[in-house]
Amino acid sequence: MLRRLKWLALTTATVTIMAAYSAPAFAQKSGPVQWQNDLSPITASDWNYDFAAHLLERAGFGGTPEEIQALSRLTPAQAVRQLVNFRSIENPLPPFEHSGVHDPGLEPFPESRPAVTKMAKEKGEALGIKVKPDGDRPLQPVVNKFFYWLRASVLETQRVSYWWANRMVATRHPLEEKMALFWHGHFAVNESKVRDYRKMLGQLEVFHKHGSGSFRDLLIAEAQHPAMLSFLDAGVNVKGAPNENFAREIMELFSMGVGNYTEKDIREAARAFTGWNYVDLKFVVNKDQHDDGQKTFLGKTGNFDGVDVIDIILQQPVTARFLAGKIYRYFVRQDLSADQQEKLGAVLRNANYNLAALLETIFLSRDFYSPASVGTQIKSPVQLAISTFRKLGLKEAPGVPDFNIATGTLGQRLFSPPTVAGWAEGRSWITPGLLLERGNFIRDILFPDINFVPPDRANPSADIRIVADKIAAGLDISTATMPDRGSEGGLAEANMLADRDEDFNTRYGSFRGWQMAIERVKPIPRHAASINLTRIVVDAGFKTTTQVVDHFIYRFMRVPPPGEKRQALIAFLDRELGTNDVTVARTYMEDSLRLLLHLIMSEPEYQLS
Amino acid sequence: MKRRDLLQAGLYGVAIGATGLTRVPALLARTGQALATQGSAVPRILVVVELSGGNDGLNTVVPYGDDAYYRHRPKIGIRAASVRKIDSHFGFNPGMTGFERIYKDGKLAIVHGCGYPNPSFSHFTSMAYWHTAAPNRGDEFGWVGRTADAIAPQAPTNFLVNVDARQSLAVRSRVHTPLVFDDPNKFSRESFYQEREFFAQTPDTGNVENPSRRFLLDVARSAKSASALVKEAWAKYKSPVDYGINPMDLPKVAALIDAGMPTRLYYVSYRNNAFDTHVYQSDLHQRLLTYASDAVSAFMVDLERIGRANDVAVMIFSEFGRRVPENTSLGTDHGAANLMFVAGKKVKGGHFGKIPSLTQLDEGDNLVHTTDFRRVYATMISGWLGFQNSAAVLNGNFEVFDMFA
Repeated sequence: MLRRLKWLALTTATVTIMAAYSAPAFAQKSGPVQWQNDLSPITASDWNYDFAAHLLERAGFGGTPEEIQALSRLTPAQAVRQLVNFRSIENPLPPFEHSGVHDPGLEPFPESRPAVTKMAKEKGEALGIKVKPDGDRPLQPVVNKFFYWLRASVLETQRVSYWWANRMVATRHPLEEKMALFWHGHFAVNESKVRDYRKMLGQLEVFHKHGSGSFRDLLIAEAQHPAMLSFLDAGVNVKGAPNENFAREIMELFSMGVGNYTEKDIREAARAFTGWNYVDLKFVVNKDQHDDGQKTFLGKTGNFDGVDVIDIILQQPVTARFLAGKIYRYFVRQDLSADQQEKLGAVLRNANYNLAALLETIFLSRDFYSPASVGTQIKSPVQLAISTFRKLGLKEAPGVPDFNIATGTLGQRLFSPPTVAGWAEGRSWITPGLLLERGNFIRDILFPDINFVPPDRANPSADIRIVADKIAAGLDISTATMPDRGSEGGLAEANMLADRDEDFNTRYGSFRGWQMAIERVKPIPRHAASINLTRIVVDAGFKTTTQVVDHFIYRFMRVPPPGEKRQALIAFLDRELGTNDVTVARTYMEDSLRLLLHLIMSEPEYQLS
Repeated sequence: MKRRDLLQAGLYGVAIGATGLTRVPALLARTGQALATQGSAVPRILVVVELSGGNDGLNTVVPYGDDAYYRHRPKIGIRAASVRKIDSHFGFNPGMTGFERIYKDGKLAIVHGCGYPNPSFSHFTSMAYWHTAAPNRGDEFGWVGRTADAIAPQAPTNFLVNVDARQSLAVRSRVHTPLVFDDPNKFSRESFYQEREFFAQTPDTGNVENPSRRFLLDVARSAKSASALVKEAWAKYKSPVDYGINPMDLPKVAALIDAGMPTRLYYVSYRNNAFDTHVYQSDLHQRLLTYASDAVSAFMVDLERIGRANDVAVMIFSEFGRRVPENTSLGTDHGAANLMFVAGKKVKGGHFGKIPSLTQLDEGDNLVHTTDFRRVYATMISGWLGFQNSAAVLNGNFEVFDMFA
């Protein structure tokens, strides 16, 4: 107790001395309240470090003080233009390196394991594998191959995700990636239904290519993309028997929003999209399945096809409003008046759906720099991860912790949006459980788990591990795959179903498929983050713990913690270092600085952008 | 010190000493709550289970005695020989041994024709109507959240639990901060010894202008008060009951109930739009139903095991049913009226509500609803939870079913 009082007294004294020159770093500056909802552009005289930092937070993933300073030396118009019209800036990034896991015969991939075994029974072959003419479990190789591809596609998708994360960390075109992330949530396709990493990668390439260009080009490219066609069952939408899933989601989620069309419009649009399909990675129109009859859609009548329907959708003022509003909420803030949405919609419509024009208007507007907008956005999990990496000066996403598991735990796993409506954004990112998880994630970056087991190598499912052990011990397949029976309440129906067919064994197939997949999918590199906080402190020439704490707050947070938390952080560092003089602690302070950063990044305010 | 605070928070402020904390609270909590509520021995608990995506009710409880069913579904209709018959008209989907068992035990109520006028065929819109109990309108707060507000306006801690990766609109409440978590093992602040004192500080919620920041500080306080309780409950929970492939988070609910959490309202779901079966639905749908029915029936067994079966009812719903005629892709499209289920030891099993006609469909070939779904909500609020003024929660009077023994 006595000791505690002593260091409290000590830190109080320190604070008094240091307060004079540490205070300015704290002020999170925004424009005046009157700027709210004002879309007119800010001027060069308004521009400063804090505005540049805010712009980089939102139009990108934030950055180091050096990057922010570079941006603040431009005029606001130059800064925004550099971010929005990024193509002129050289940006050498490596292409995705395929493991080479896709084999002839896998396409078209059947919709389920029962469908595969049925096909194999009827045709004597499936997935490029022939049925064994005789012997035990003649369909087993086919079932193995089925599970192989499911697993291989999942694992390869995890590599695509890492590749994308590394782009987000290293890119000089941060808005290109931020828009790609927006569109991934907008045209939300999930690998678990598409079951083909190549289609997922292809869709991401569309986002990179058209993400801030013409929305018409983007919408058509998406509507004709095998990932989307597969995800929304377009392949079964045929003349005489339209399937409405695709047409409904195009209008409800991708362009107009619910309530702006009738059920009849959906049926008519579905007819126009009939025959749209894909073969492997190519879009095709099956002419004999296309209904080229007359349709009446949103008040217009004609022999429309899918592109006609998209053009009619784009003619609706509500489409530009819907889209502009959604983009605004993603970049600026959640609440948006009908009047403001109308204005933003007009910007997009007048620019003929050129997205760059809307983005420039938003990022230059006084509204964007008003108090209602600055420091009020809750970072999405991917935004949290990438901006943390960038602010730490990392050049790539660390392999430990696993990026996919970490962001998935926090609610935003890439290529795995929860539904076709994408992620809900805003406050829905935070629950009591998730807020704690965010702090735990930071700890895993700063103090990598020494017991880390790569999830793309070790199988997380206990069931499969048990099967593997029993097979290795020489047991026959039936015995090896027999589940352990529960004592009370018996075995659930689902667990009894799995071992009933003698032509094949599903559990064995699942184990074997996994084994075949890890043999061929390249491993994800697993280096820990290379962090050197001591260097930051030494390079800046800081002398006191107060300077260090203030600098870390300035460097890493856009909304500072309350004053008493700052005091507690300084006290913490004093105690850890055994002094408030950091020049003395130079050789041993790294661990303490990391603990300090863990505390800072666990604060509720760190979640704000 | 910290630990004691947490336990007290979990006990509605029932004061306990600093000794003998670990095993006593569960019992104390139960008595504590009993005193705090309406005189019944133990306050009743409602568990809401959402089947997201629009479950195909017609292939769940199959009207095999109605020829019209087979006319509408020549390919995906389930043959009379395959259904698990419960009477001369209906039978469960072949995958649903779990539900068949509960039904035959007389503990499952099937409510027919649940829906609302001018049905929305959008997952998100219709789900929002069900979440808010405000069809064609919506509400800022969810019906489960409003129920919590009405029953416990003082907002005792951990009254409302939502196990999910994100908070459902259904539990959004004016005065309660719902306890939302996903993995109980991870629902804790991982900290090093040196950091504990710093983390032990209670988040400040003084005069904060920034609304997002205020929200984060509220959540931080809720997290701090609940995480140790949940983690401990889960660590203590060991059940021999097999919940199957997708337990729908019901074992976590059982763990919290067993630990004597003061929670009266739980919300879990079969996540990610799983029941949206547009194509080749038969195998897939049967599998989904097997998982759901395994989980619910296992939960009932588990509740019996922990001696709490009399205190818990489970209400199961989906945002809409599917269109009556099958589509040409061997699946079904978004429909309207649908079944709801209520399961529990105190439930009077059987059929409730008027069975909708399969021959007089609406213009979109959908079942016309015969039961406003809010009647079932009202039944849970007043009939089960004992809060008589369900009209105040649901913004209207809805006739209650006589569903509980």
